[in-house]
Order: sequence, then structure tokens, then C-alpha cells
Amino acid sequence: MMKFLTSLFLGTALLVAPAQAQNQPLRIEITEGVIEPLPFAAPNFVPDTPAAAEYSAQLARVVAADLSGTGLFREIGSDAYISQVSSFEAPVQFADWKAINAQALVTGAVNVSGNQLTVRFRIWDVFSGAELGNGLQFAGTTDGWRRMAHKVADQVYSRITGETGYFDSRVAFVSESGPKNQRRKRLAIMDYDGANVQYLTDSSAIVLAPRFSPTGDRVLYTSYESGTPRIYVLDVGRVQRRVLQSQEGTMSFAPRFSPDGQTVLYSLAQGGNTDLWSMNIGSGQSARLTNAPSIETAPSYSPDGSQIVFESDRSGTPQLYIMPARGGEARRISFGKGRYGTPVWSPRGDYIAFTKQNKGRFHIGVMRTDGSEERLLTASFLDEGPTWAPNGRVIMFTRETQGASGRSALYSVDISGRNLRPVRTPDGGSDPAWSPLQ
Amino acid sequence: MQTGTKISGVLHVTLVGWALFGGTFRSEPLPFEVQDVSVISAEEYAALTAPKQAPEVVDAPSDLQQPEQPDDQVAVPAPAEPEPEQAPPEPVAQPEPEPEPQPDVVAEPPDPEVVEETPTLEQPDPEEVALLPPGPRPQPRPADRVAPQPVAPPPPDVKPDDVDTPPVSAEEGAEEQQPEQEETAQKEATDQIVTEAEESPDPAAQSSPRPKSRPSRPKPEPVQTAEQEDPPDTSPNTQDAVEDALAEALGGAQAAPAPSGPPLTGGEKDALRIAVSNCWNVGSLSTDALNTTVVVSVAMQPDGRPISNSVRLLDSSGGSSAAAQQAFEAARRAIVRCGAKGYDLPTEKYGQWQNIEMTFNPERMRIK
Amino acid sequence: MNLLGKIAAPIALVALAACSNTDPSAWGSGGAGGAGAGGAGAGVASDPTSPAYFQQAIGDRVLFSVDQSTLTAEAQTILQGQADWLLRNVDFTATIEGHADEQGTREYNLALGARRANAAREFLISRGVAGNRLKTVTYGKERPIEICSEEACYAKNRRAVTVLTGATTG
Repeated sequence: MMKFLTSLFLGTALLVAPAQAQNQPLRIEITEGVIEPLPFAAPNFVPDTPAAAEYSAQLARVVAADLSGTGLFREIGSDAYISQVSSFEAPVQFADWKAINAQALVTGAVNVSGNQLTVRFRIWDVFSGAELGNGLQFAGTTDGWRRMAHKVADQVYSRITGETGYFDSRVAFVSESGPKNQRRKRLAIMDYDGANVQYLTDSSAIVLAPRFSPTGDRVLYTSYESGTPRIYVLDVGRVQRRVLQSQEGTMSFAPRFSPDGQTVLYSLAQGGNTDLWSMNIGSGQSARLTNAPSIETAPSYSPDGSQIVFESDRSGTPQLYIMPARGGEARRISFGKGRYGTPVWSPRGDYIAFTKQNKGRFHIGVMRTDGSEERLLTASFLDEGPTWAPNGRVIMFTRETQGASGRSALYSVDISGRNLRPVRTPDGGSDPAWSPLQ
Repeated sequence: MQTGTKISGVLHVTLVGWALFGGTFRSEPLPFEVQDVSVISAEEYAALTAPKQAPEVVDAPSDLQQPEQPDDQVAVPAPAEPEPEQAPPEPVAQPEPEPEPQPDVVAEPPDPEVVEETPTLEQPDPEEVALLPPGPRPQPRPADRVAPQPVAPPPPDVKPDDVDTPPVSAEEGAEEQQPEQEETAQKEATDQIVTEAEESPDPAAQSSPRPKSRPSRPKPEPVQTAEQEDPPDTSPNTQDAVEDALAEALGGAQAAPAPSGPPLTGGEKDALRIAVSNCWNVGSLSTDALNTTVVVSVAMQPDGRPISNSVRLLDSSGGSSAAAQQAFEAARRAIVRCGAKGYDLPTEKYGQWQNIEMTFNPERMRIK
Repeated sequence: MNLLGKIAAPIALVALAACSNTDPSAWGSGGAGGAGAGGAGAGVASDPTSPAYFQQAIGDRVLFSVDQSTLTAEAQTILQGQADWLLRNVDFTATIEGHADEQGTREYNLALGARRANAAREFLISRGVAGNRLKTVTYGKERPIEICSEEACYAKNRRAVTVLTGATTG
């Protein structure tokens, strides 16, 4: 970088110096900045029609909550506003928004006709008075208004940060109630922010660890409904499930879809030994990927489908390994102190999230795919089972509290380790699985 | 980058035009795009929810700001709107020919109170924030803000600002008529991100969740701020400056030679560098943008304020063109925002800093 | 059939208590949920052919140390008793449940539970019990019997429990 700057400086100096010695620009380099939430304002969307009035505030509230929830933005409440946005088309009074230090502004309008909802919005960089991107319009049905708000927020997020958003997504999880030794578990699905919870199974059998298909229309999970752990695939739209083919006398669990949705990776326990297998979900044909007396479990594909990261205790303690998708030689990537488990490849491919157990504490952490740059993001009595937001920037996981009255809940954290916060669920929650963007 | 520059160019021209011609044309039709959202169709939705009678919660999110209902329903001049392809909003319905099979899972009716608001966070004990005595070993604490230098939490009734300003009361300013100024202080900051895993193990916290957020800061007082800074686009001499800058940008460097004086000292440059640093917020940048170094030019007014629409992206390296655009926008926010009250630059050397090129290199910020 | 009737009542009770199973034929699951309810058949514990006797006098469970699935001497003694009982009472089959404490990830504990259940099963087979009378299932950390978060509880949760499932052909 220094080289680049030096050469830039020299080059420019040589070219410009003789011509305009006096007015050549002052050059400085800024290498230190701040990291803080960007203040923004999202005034109520302007209703085009009386019928749209009820969505005016609701849309803006969901947009603001999405953005604030990332920890990257901070909403400036309407009580600070100097002027209101009463017309979507009128020029924005930037001075009024600058005065309250809103750096970004979202203006919108909403129209309702029958059960059709139309949302228009623009995003402004207040201090430079520039619009970020073009205005955009979304149309859909009124009962999908929350999704529209999430879509608006996704646009704001991506135009300011440069990353894809993740608000228009859902989370499958296990809803938990009852004491530890008689816990009732039900499969459930909800919007990423905890809204619209829907139950997919009853609690007559233990269910574990749902995983979304790449298109978000199916969920794999493990259930004891036959008396022994088996893998089921559930059509989310129809709430219909079927068991994946399984051999008598075996137990299968820890399933995960391949990036193309055609193959399921899973653990199969047979004669006390657990190895990794894959199965073509259409034909039911299965193949053994590992064959060792040690435990091999919790497999996860790389986003390109060429590799698998998994957990194995072949070295004596559980550690993380990577091998080719068809099986073969595995290389160990975790070398820190403690035990490592449940590795999950980031959808961006850049990191692997994992659970780490060390000195009686559990952590959620991330590392590069070669095991370097390990960073622990959380610490508690029991954190486990990370899942990635579709943009690879946020991780959701299970946190269980200590003791006889211990309860499990869902939490999320930014991969920087900032913005750790609980995700609201009606009961206890565990084993979250984040859907792709819808 | 080219598209970004183009867009930026168009927007700037639009803005300058607006600044020059006041409000002679009211609403320049800005570009607009229309998208259908394939929101789940009404039928699908009904099919999903009907069997369980999921209550459609008409929610009032907890933190609902009492909306001032915009009173004019006439605001949108409909006919002139540039939305040619405002397609009749179409429920993107996946036609489901067969009647929706009853889910064969007997799900219990969902809890009636589907929670709609985002999780509210426990407020940390204010004692912890205010009274924490400086321990023997300074321990980085989590703060909302990460800045080059750690900043202690501000006194509670002080307005957060990017610089520290001593309080000036009306009675004091005897000779120079100083405007009454509210005491401001820089926002609290740590100099690195502190994750939960790095916090000092606190036995008391093992069984209860740690505080996740700082107490909300004192809100800025809009009135106060308004009086301190004139918005650049409204004062007439700013308009002149804009015209000057525009003339200069368009017609070449025929502007009157400014007093130039000796080059800026290292200290003077440092002051400018630090001032801009304080507003350069990389917290909301993508990892790609954090890999992007941008070189930005800005034209200055003699009073030390940047001409906001003169900020240009000259060069970028390290990231995609989209990332360069985000990095540029963050740099532009820094220059314009921290320069709103004028940078502290020696007037007699105006010629030396009339034009500034700033390189924003986030390399060191990536590891924070 | 008489025998079946004798054990069906306590097991049904157990299943009810566990609130986790409404299908009385799936005794394996019922047993898992109520594995802690050892006293259910106390009245007939004096009858050496009763499941209650198996549970209490012989001992239906063996414990393991952290991360281990090897059988201690004590565990082998208990399993020897189980094997003898099973050889005498050939109408019974059994499901061996493997469990783990909560100090581990869900997936790893499932695999660990499978190991423990299998260790017990292999031992019984080595003592002459027919393999087709013995099934295994792992519960990982899903069904702790003790719920405190201390080693005293963890030690009891790291277990393999032999649950009699009645005189069927399996």
C-alpha cells in the first residue's frame, strides 16, 4: 500500500508540479477511522390512500427494526424530527435531517388497493444530498406486508454497506418447552426476526436440528417418531414429510443438503460407530464417505459443493477436518486448545463457524477455511450449533443456561463479535437454521 | 466504478442544478425501478395458516413512535409520475391446482401472541457504565463505537459530538460575542472490538446474560445544532462558492489565484487528518469495501468548509467497483460531516488547501 | 400374554408420566422418557423374573466416564447380571439406550450415546445373549435423568440403560 501511495504521489507530483506549482491539491492519507452505527431516519411511509394508512407506520417500523437490529445502524426516533415527510415526491429537506445528524434517510410511500399493497421508496445520503441508487417499487399482497418491509430494508442495507441483506429470510428451529429431563420439542419456522411463527410438527417425538434446502422449500431434520433417530425431509409449503430411506438397525442424524439440493450428507451410526454418508435424495442411493472407528459427524458442504468440513475425534478429541466431497483424505484444520464441533461453511465461502468447548465454557467462533485467524465470538455455559445468515455476516446459535432450570434460547451475533442479542421465540428455542434469501 | 461514477455524476448535476435554480422546477423525476415481490400468495398463505387458525396478529410494535399522520392525502401528483411499467401489482401466485393437502402433522395451535417486535435488550446496569472505576489494568470494554483513541463515557448530560467542546455560557464570553454553546463530548469509544469471549470472565455473569447494549445516548438537541451551523446549500455565499466550484470544475482553473502562503506544517495536516478520521465510519462497510482504498478529491471554501458536491472519487484499489462506491460514500460522509463547521485550516494558506486529495486506506481498520 | 399384561401397566404409566408418547406399542420410546422412573414396578421387585427385579436388583444401567464408552469393572458386573437374567428369561427382548451428559454438542453426543449403547450390547452378546434380542438407540443429551449442571449429575447421565421391551420377536 505504501508503494502504491508513494508511486501515486511521485507520479502525480512529476506530472503536475511544473504546470501548477501553486494550486496542486493538498494530499493527506486517512488510515484511522471509527466503527459505530450509522444514524438513519425512517419516517412513516406516506399513505397514498386512506386504506394504506395502517401500513404507513408499520412498514417504517419494520424497516427501522431490521436495520437497527444489525448493530450497523442506529435509528433516530421521530421525536427528534424537525420536518415530516408528507409527500413522497417533494424535495427532501436535507438541512432538517442533517441537523439531527441523520446520515441516511429512507423515504417511502404506500398504496393499498383491495388486497394489493404497493410500496415505493428512496434512500438518501443526507450529508451529500445524493440519492443512493434509484427509487424502487415493490408490489404484493397486504398480508405479505412484513416481507415487503424486509425487502425495503434489504435494499437499504445493501446500498449502504455493499453487502446483500438478509432480512427477507426465515429461520427453522426447534421450539422447546418443559423441564430438561422431559423436554418437549417441536419443529417450527418463523421470519428471521421472530415474527410469524408456525409449527411444523407436534411434540410427540423428539425432533432435532432442522436444515434448509438451498431454495428454502424443504427442511431436513432428525426425528425419533419411529423410536430411533431417523432423517426426514419436510416440504415447508405443504407441511408434508417423508422419512429418508434407512437401513434397519442403524441410526441417522446430522443431515445437511448439498448446495444443489440433490444430495444429503449425514451421519450414520451402525454397530456403535458413526461415519459420514451421502444419499441422492431422488434415487435414495447412498454412499459411504468415511470408514474409521472414530466418530465422524456434523458435516457441511463448501458453497461450491466440492468439499466437506466435519467433526471427528480420530485424534482423541473432537476436531475439525476438511475432505473432498466424495470422501478421501481429510486434513485437520483446528489446532487450538479445547474441543471443536458443528462446523458450518459460510455461504460466502470465506469462513467456517464452529462450536468450541474449552475450560468448561462453550464458544461460537469463526476461522478461515485453512484454520487460520480463529476468533471466538461468544462465551457462555453452553453455546452451540451456529447457522449463517444468507449474506455470511451474521451467525445465529443456541444458548442454553446452566442448572436444573436451564432453558435454551436463540441468539445472534455479527461475525465481528459485536451485536450479540437474543432472538425472540414464543418458547425456548434451539438448533436454528437460517434459510436462504427468499 | 464507471456506473457508480456515472450515477454519482448524474446525481451531482441534478443536485447542483437544484441548488442553483432554487425551486424553479419542483420535482425532477428521479429514476425509478419497479419490482414485483413474489410475496407468498394469499391462497398459499391461507392454506398454510388456515388449518391452524394462526391468529393474524395486528401488531403494534413495542417501540412504535407515535406517527404524525401525514395529513395531506393529495401529496403525490400522480399523473406525472415516471412509473411507466407500474405493472398492476400481481400476486406472484404459484398456481396450486390441487387442493392443499391437510398437513398430516397435528400441530398445536400456535401461541396467540406471536411476537412481532425485535427482541428488546436488557439495559445494562447504569451503575456499571457511570461508576466503573479505572481498574489497575485498563481492560477494553465493549462500546458501540470503536475509534483510534479510546474515549471514556461522556458525562450523562453532555451532547455527543465528534469533538470535545468546553461549555461556554452567555455570561462568560465578555469580549468576543461567542455563541452560547452546549457542552459536547466525543462519544464513548473503545479502541478495539471486544467480543463476549474476550471480556474478563465475570463469575456473576455466568448464569445471566450480559448487557448487550449501552444505554441510549443523550439525544442531540436539534435547535442547538441548527443554530451552530448554517446549512451550506441555503446561504447565498455558499451558492457563490458552489458556482465558483462549478465554474472551476467545468471551465478549467481560471479562478482567481488564492493566497497560498507556505506549505502546511505537519501539525496542521495532522489536525485535518484527525478531524476527518473522527467522522470516517467504516462500521457499516462490507468486508469487500474494507479492502478498498479510495482516493477522493474535494474543493474547499476559504472558511474551511468542504463544498459537498465537489467530492469526487479519483481512484480506487483493492476491491470491486461496487465496493469502491460504498467506500467512496463513506469517505464523502466523513469529509462533509466533519467539515460542516469548517476544518481548522490556516486562512492565509488557503491556496495550499483549496483542493485536497484524501486517500482513505482502511487497512488498519480491518483488524479492529 | 400374562407376562405382557404384567409389565404393560407400569410401562404405560411411565409413558404417560413422560408425556412424550401416546402410542402404547412403542415401548422403547416410553422407556426412554421415563428411564428415571425406576420405582414404577416396585411391588413385584421380589419376583426374580419381573422387569422390576431386573431394574432394581440387578441394575438396568451402567455409567461411563467423560467421553468414554469403555466398560468399567463395575459396569461389567452389572451387565453380567443382565446377561444372566436375559438368558433365564428368554421371552424378553431389550433396547439399550445410550446417553451423554450435556457437556458436548448435540451431534457428537448422539454418536457418543450410540457408542455406549453398543458397548453394552456387545458385552451382552459376548455373554451369550442373542444379538437379535438386543436393539440400541442413542439419545445423546436429549434425555438427561439428572438435571443439575454439576459433575454429580453428569456422572449419572453418562449411561447405557437396558430397557426390557417384552416378548416379541423383534
